[in-house]
Amino acid sequence: MRSMYSFLAEGDEFVPPSSRDFVLPPIFGDNPYSTKPIFLVFLSVILLSLFFVMASRKAAIVPSKMQFAGETVYAYVRNELGRDIIGHEFMRFVPYLFSLFTFILVNNWFGIIPMLQFPTMSRISFAYVLGIITFAVFHYVGIRHHGIIKYLKDILFMPGVPKPVYILLTPIEVATYLIVRPLTLSLRLFANMFAGHLLLMIFILGGEHLLQGAITLKLVSPFAFAFGIALTFFEFLVQCLQAYIFTLLTALYIGGALADEH
Amino acid sequence: MSQNNEGAAWTILGYLLSGPLFWGGVGYGLDTWLGTGYFLASGLLLGMGAALYLVWLRFGR
Repeated sequence: MRSMYSFLAEGDEFVPPSSRDFVLPPIFGDNPYSTKPIFLVFLSVILLSLFFVMASRKAAIVPSKMQFAGETVYAYVRNELGRDIIGHEFMRFVPYLFSLFTFILVNNWFGIIPMLQFPTMSRISFAYVLGIITFAVFHYVGIRHHGIIKYLKDILFMPGVPKPVYILLTPIEVATYLIVRPLTLSLRLFANMFAGHLLLMIFILGGEHLLQGAITLKLVSPFAFAFGIALTFFEFLVQCLQAYIFTLLTALYIGGALADEH
Repeated sequence: MSQNNEGAAWTILGYLLSGPLFWGGVGYGLDTWLGTGYFLASGLLLGMGAALYLVWLRFGR
């Protein structure tokens, strides 16, 4: 397994970063559960817990800076993603939406935080797990709200259609609800983080490689680094956007499962 | 959900993906099974048409 920086020892040939750079070696011996992404996930949970405990512990009428920051994030998720989309029953789902949003956000940010610099969600399993949880939540909510018969009937049979047409339409509904929704949710998050990390690696490692070349190449390398820095800011936007989209879609699916008519 | 435009957009995207995906998949299966070459294309078209019909049923009428 090639680590991120090992190409320096491989002579003059520039080895472009590839998907292999996302397979990180275990930190402790051969234990496959001690890789960097695993530790980053734990770190994100610790950081989030610390932040929100500290932000809410000494809650005051006139908030401290930290309380203000925590409350801003919370209010944003509750009002914009919860209340506006799910409707009057939204408070039940705010804890889930809030945890989901902050968890994805911090894990995405790890992609550009110096020293950490690895977006956890660029390993697809993490994105799959989040997709599966959302999938379970919105179906469970729908079944609890409507009862399993009515919920399935709402999904499978669009009203006001001649019966033979169901042969054509029902498989599409099933594929949408059971496969496409959780899959696109996971893949969107994974692919964005994966591609963003790859892009940053290309510009920054490329700039470093140019720096070791002839004098003309050395002169070009600042441009590569400048692009790398500009793209880092761009990545920041993408990371926030992806956390937002994931939570927004979760809220939309829950709202759809609760809706009385489809 | 239909009163929410953003929700509608994502639902439509989902249908337009899974329509061709499912019926295209059926067509591909038939092509492989029977050794023919036209079921995949017809399946994709059928799926796209059905998905558009579904979108119209849900949001258009």
